Amino acid sequence: MTVAPASSVDERELIARVRAGDGLAERALYDAHVDRVFRLAYRLAGDDELARDFTQETFIRAFERLDSFRGEAALSTWLYTIATTVTLNGLRKLKRRGRELELDAAAEVAGGGARRAEPDLKARLYAAIDALSDKYRTVFVMHDVEGYTHEEIAAALKVEVGTSKAQLSRARAKLREALADFAGEWVT
Amino acid sequence: MTDDRNDQRLRELARDYHRPPTGGAPREELWARIAAERARRRAAPRALVWRPWLRWGLAAAAVLVLGVALGRLTAPAGQLATPPDSAGVVAYRVAATQHLARTEALLASFRAEARTGRLDAQFGAQARDLLTTTRLMMDSPAARDPRLKSLLEDLEVVLAQIAQVPAGRAGEDVDLITQGIEQRSVLLRLQTAVPGGPGARAQGAL
Repeated sequence: MTVAPASSVDERELIARVRAGDGLAERALYDAHVDRVFRLAYRLAGDDELARDFTQETFIRAFERLDSFRGEAALSTWLYTIATTVTLNGLRKLKRRGRELELDAAAEVAGGGARRAEPDLKARLYAAIDALSDKYRTVFVMHDVEGYTHEEIAAALKVEVGTSKAQLSRARAKLREALADFAGEWVT
Repeated sequence: MTDDRNDQRLRELARDYHRPPTGGAPREELWARIAAERARRRAAPRALVWRPWLRWGLAAAAVLVLGVALGRLTAPAGQLATPPDSAGVVAYRVAATQHLARTEALLASFRAEARTGRLDAQFGAQARDLLTTTRLMMDSPAARDPRLKSLLEDLEVVLAQIAQVPAGRAGEDVDLITQGIEQRSVLLRLQTAVPGGPGARAQGAL
């Protein structure tokens, strides 16, 4: 999988200045990308403080490792790779520390065939998205919620474009299945 | 209703999933946090991290030094270079086996990672550590075995090359190193030189 270099001359110059220790260039690089990194972290984490933590760690790692950025893909893609890694690893750690109960409850809501205490269509959908596996949820959120292309997703997650498409298709199928008993309602 | 329309409806419904606050990221606050955390990390004393390769490296070096000491103590005066079955020779063999097992692990990982195009900075540090022990081995009685001596000489070249690869740069240099490993059959010779299968390799036992 390769992504055509998208770095503009300006971006290459900016990176060179950051590597040379220019603090203003660091800030410019941060300003250019922080909103999208934060949005992605927020969409995946669903929590403001966690999104701030993951965004902070993403940029710290990016500045530490900028020397290893080879410019084969756009800098933004490289940042999304770091952001998704930081966010998903962070969420896994939290899950290990005791969020299993919350996630299990979400999965139960999503997997239930009959309509129970959560009659709201969107709430059912969100619970079903939460219950997706990391890979399906990440691809669905990046593509259908945040509007990333399959090429961007594939580069960020280090998978083939076809894999990204297949995972999106499976994620949608699982969500449609979770909403099956709302069929008459959500087809409006 | 087609799948396309279903998917379109899903996208519409999902727009509010974990919707970020309007106004974007809290830029100034985040920037201040990033600057503070980077300063804190820079100021934090760098602790010695006991990574497995470091533990094994120090252990092998210790065994090597012990072997030298035992060899000298147990050898009759004037016959320092001869005792074939002394405790010193056994110690050299233990050290050599441990060292070769670790070197094999490093080279196998290096070759695998080189294919991905990304190299961890740890490879350089590990290679330098192993290079030091390799040179000690070359000057020890363990190198009296011509096959082992030849292997150690090749390892010295390969490890010196890996030690000089800049972190994260897997380019032409790395291709040349992996080609050198292949051409000299270094991994195969290492596997042959380390007896007892994977378990013994892991423990470095004879």
